[in-house]
Amino acid sequence: MISLLDIADRAQKGPKMDENVWNMGLFRKMNELTEKYHLHYPKDNPVFNCDNALADRAFMAAVDFLIETGIYCISTGRVIQLTRNEVLNTIKGMPKQFAVGEGKDVRILKQRRIEEKEELNHCPGHHAPFTEELAPLIIKSFAEIPSADYLEGINFSEVDGREIFGLPLEVYAGKREASWLRQGVAKAGRPGMAVAYYPINTRAAVMIAPIAREVGLRPSDGILLSVLPDVKVEQDYLTTAIVWEEYGGFKLNGNGSGFVGGFCGGLGGAIIEAIVATLTGWIVYRDILCWGGVLSSSAFASTKEIPTNPTDVWAASVWAQALHRHTNYIIFMATGSHSGPGCETQLLELAFRAISIPINGSNVHISRQFRARMNASQSPLDAEWLYEVSTAVMKAGLDRHSAGDLLLKIGEKLKGKAPEAPYHDIREFYDLVHHKPLPNYEKAYLKVKEEISTLGLIFD
Amino acid sequence: MTNEETKKIALDSLKDAILNYDTEEAQKAAQAIVDQGVDPKVAINEAVLGASTTLHERFERGECFIPHLVMAGDAMEAAGKVLESAIPKEQITSKKVVVIGTVEADLHSVGKNIVAMFFRSGGFEVHDMGVNVKAGSFISKAVDTNADIIALSSLLTTTRPYMREVIEEMESVGVRDKFKVIVGGGPITPEWAEEIGADGYGTDAYEGIEVAKKLLGIS
Amino acid sequence: MISLLDIAERTQKGRKMPEDAWNMSLFRKISELVKRYEIPNYTKDTPFLNLDDDLPERAFHAGVDLLVEHGVYCITTGRVVELSRDEVLGVVRESPKEILVGTGKDARVMKQRKVEGKEPLNFCPGHHTPFTQDLAPIVVKNFAQIPRTDFIEGFNFTEVDGHEIFGAPIEAYASRRQVSWMREGVRKAGRPGLSIVLYPITTRAEVLTAAIDPVDGLRSGDGILTSVLPDEKIEHDLLATAIAGEDCGLWRISGSFSMVGGFCGGADGAIVEGIAKPLTAMICYRAFVNYTGVENVSTVSALSIPLQPLNWARSVVNQTLNRFTNTICMAWIIPTSGPGTESNLLEVAFRTIEATINGANLYAPRHSRARMNAGQTPVEAEFMVEVSDATLAAGLDRQRGGELLSRLTQKLEGRQPEPGFTIQECYDLVNHRPSPDYERIHQQVKEQLTELGLVFP
Repeated sequence: MISLLDIADRAQKGPKMDENVWNMGLFRKMNELTEKYHLHYPKDNPVFNCDNALADRAFMAAVDFLIETGIYCISTGRVIQLTRNEVLNTIKGMPKQFAVGEGKDVRILKQRRIEEKEELNHCPGHHAPFTEELAPLIIKSFAEIPSADYLEGINFSEVDGREIFGLPLEVYAGKREASWLRQGVAKAGRPGMAVAYYPINTRAAVMIAPIAREVGLRPSDGILLSVLPDVKVEQDYLTTAIVWEEYGGFKLNGNGSGFVGGFCGGLGGAIIEAIVATLTGWIVYRDILCWGGVLSSSAFASTKEIPTNPTDVWAASVWAQALHRHTNYIIFMATGSHSGPGCETQLLELAFRAISIPINGSNVHISRQFRARMNASQSPLDAEWLYEVSTAVMKAGLDRHSAGDLLLKIGEKLKGKAPEAPYHDIREFYDLVHHKPLPNYEKAYLKVKEEISTLGLIFD
Repeated sequence: MTNEETKKIALDSLKDAILNYDTEEAQKAAQAIVDQGVDPKVAINEAVLGASTTLHERFERGECFIPHLVMAGDAMEAAGKVLESAIPKEQITSKKVVVIGTVEADLHSVGKNIVAMFFRSGGFEVHDMGVNVKAGSFISKAVDTNADIIALSSLLTTTRPYMREVIEEMESVGVRDKFKVIVGGGPITPEWAEEIGADGYGTDAYEGIEVAKKLLGIS
Repeated sequence: MISLLDIAERTQKGRKMPEDAWNMSLFRKISELVKRYEIPNYTKDTPFLNLDDDLPERAFHAGVDLLVEHGVYCITTGRVVELSRDEVLGVVRESPKEILVGTGKDARVMKQRKVEGKEPLNFCPGHHTPFTQDLAPIVVKNFAQIPRTDFIEGFNFTEVDGHEIFGAPIEAYASRRQVSWMREGVRKAGRPGLSIVLYPITTRAEVLTAAIDPVDGLRSGDGILTSVLPDEKIEHDLLATAIAGEDCGLWRISGSFSMVGGFCGGADGAIVEGIAKPLTAMICYRAFVNYTGVENVSTVSALSIPLQPLNWARSVVNQTLNRFTNTICMAWIIPTSGPGTESNLLEVAFRTIEATINGANLYAPRHSRARMNAGQTPVEAEFMVEVSDATLAAGLDRQRGGELLSRLTQKLEGRQPEPGFTIQECYDLVNHRPSPDYERIHQQVKEQLTELGLVFP
């Protein structure tokens, strides 16, 4: 398995390349590999991929990309080159499951099967901004969700009444985030629950500072270290990865994704990039978890219409299947919403996304509005709803075909709808003290649940 | 008074003004030299650069300090502008340009400051990049200013490799031959300089300046 | 005491100023303060060590006025951190006179000494110098075995696990390795709780903080070097590290000496900066232990053996700090000759006698232009303790100490610095003793000192 020090060396000594040249080179290579491995959307318009051979070819395309093109380090403007043996041997080193947290709160995170039927792992929150005064209560609320296995951190713009600006205060804020996470889980009666640090920013010092066995991040905790779009890595992340590797914490890649319309080109390129980005996270940072998938750039950025394109769903399933068939990767799907929390539209969007989770062998990840707003991006109910729907899909014994039909039906309900975000603060629709939705939100939840039931999905 | 005596007085006035760190007096003295028809090139070589030698000796003896070199440099620049305006354009030898700094991840500055001041008071145009300077920044500055020398300082054994990075970066962007590179600092040795392909090495500021002059063919 | 977050904010919001303008402005302000407080310059009639008991008080006010009227400069943001008189004096008043370092049976109290004080000095024997990876654990063990060691500082190296240390990722890795080797070395020496001070591989914040880990790295009771830069400058990586260290219980030490010939001017100006810098270190980094004094550029570049007026200026600075502040002063002993030479030991003796009388503690004697594996050996460190004990036993005060130092100066005058030897060439690391040649030199130097009037118990 190639070591992180070797990677660091190659980032310093690999061949130099201008970033613009890399980007266009990536585009050409993705197109070439798409054609070579015939990665096109099938004519029968499936929702989920049912062609295992295609998933295998997608994986081979990704490996070819790594070997023939490499990985780009934006800090040094150099290419990290890898051999086939290095890539394949390193991939073999991935664990299929591992423990997070401590004591009675230890949880095992594991790779799922496609069309999984067993209880899924769940990270219900945050990766979203909350103000300092809400932080401990928010964290406690999410930590109280019974299905929660670990929590991700939060972002905020002020600490101790001061604007977080400049490295010294960012370091201080990083340490505060870690200590609030610890306090929040302890208040929820789950002191050993694992937390994953969400970087205040991506300077290495800010990502390393929160390490503190007693009051901050422990070796049983984790950190988000993402691969950048267009198969790029960066030295602050690599530095952090090296320190964390030795410390023992787990690392997660928040960008095992391909964006249709980016430098990867079309759907085929996006699938390849998503797989490559996921593999890169392990190779370069030892990211042991990944969330990702395939999205259209335009759909992702959309503010006018909620995207329900089945080709994106199909492409994400190819990504998931390729990883399941050839690696031990533990994946979480990107399950955000365009609508803000507290309304029917958002709950429908989450239901749409939740269908894919067990079908793709994924675990359940944070539900939050893509364009996160301070104190108004997520609530415990959205997280619980996402988990509820995924569980219902498994219990119903849905497979790729039947789940696809259900997903299309939900998609019909969302078609033409514009995203909504009726609230500006979680306290307007959720009671953090008593851990329950306020009446309007509960009403919306029950209504949507009823709607989904009429489509054939039974809830406990 | 003979012409020679008049000339000597004028040149001495300029030199004294610089050695007294008096920019205004230096400008006046330079103007007087021009008005008297003394060859401005002679004034630059004898008075201005002569003052520089005296300053360096004084510094070595502890009789003047870095701020004095700064002030003397200001006076030299002011006088230089006046003198150069009297030299036909085609006869002007442009100043040699130095880009100097402490390499990436290193904050030490004292030695670098002294070398920078010596260069300046020695008649060079100096661009001091400060400390913790990335390779690309050195090169961009050198290109922008049409530099002759890139002078690199490092005081930590672990930051020496960033000197090599500057040279490699110069090669990769195709400007290696455009600039001479000299290196110095506590952990730097002649062997290291040779290993990384630097053009010169100075044990201290005095040696550094001499090495630079030699590389540029200046006496 | 003003908080580090306040300092951080002021570095972001203080008034902007180009660095060149700051430098010249500092020179003018210090020159003004030298005049205002009649800080004299050294002449041939000045006593070797300061005997003017009124001077330290004036120098103290000059140092405080420098901070209050001129501030501190952040090179990261190009802004001035302004401080009020109350804030500066608050730190002077409230900073501790002693701190506990290390843990368990190896915990030690670092304390401020008195000028002409009689108690034994605190002592750091090594390193702040480069050693190769293969030597690391045994070198550390050798230094940690010196019984009077109170804390030990890390060292630098250029390769780790076969990789050149180049780039932040490997620098961070190397930083953790440094501390883990230090930890192993002190354990081997039977002193597992000895305080370790991280010596920066580089000064990036992530490299400094990467080494913090209570099990395998820096823990509460350990320290980090966060130095105030020359010309009253601070910087964000070091400030971020101080904030992180504050949270973890790490103490900080700052290299806070001033440099004659720099933007502070001559010895008189260097005195003012030499007082302001430790105060700056305490205010901006919470560094309560400082290497204090006055140096010259030629000291640190090993071009010539530094003598007056530095000795006198150092004595003024240390007297001032010890009488008017709570600074815990360490003397930075940096011989211009390398280890294994007579010149080195004579210089070490010279500076140690001076430090003992000046109320400083003793810090790692290492060659000022240290080469790989050739910066220091335990001999110089142990010799430092011998000389210091002899100085205390002799009851030397400033007058008599100055006379002794004057005589010792004659042995140093005209000598050129010698490069010295690697540790392997002049020291037996396995059996913890000098080579026969070096031991002979050591004894000869002791005899010379005895002839000059310093008797070794």
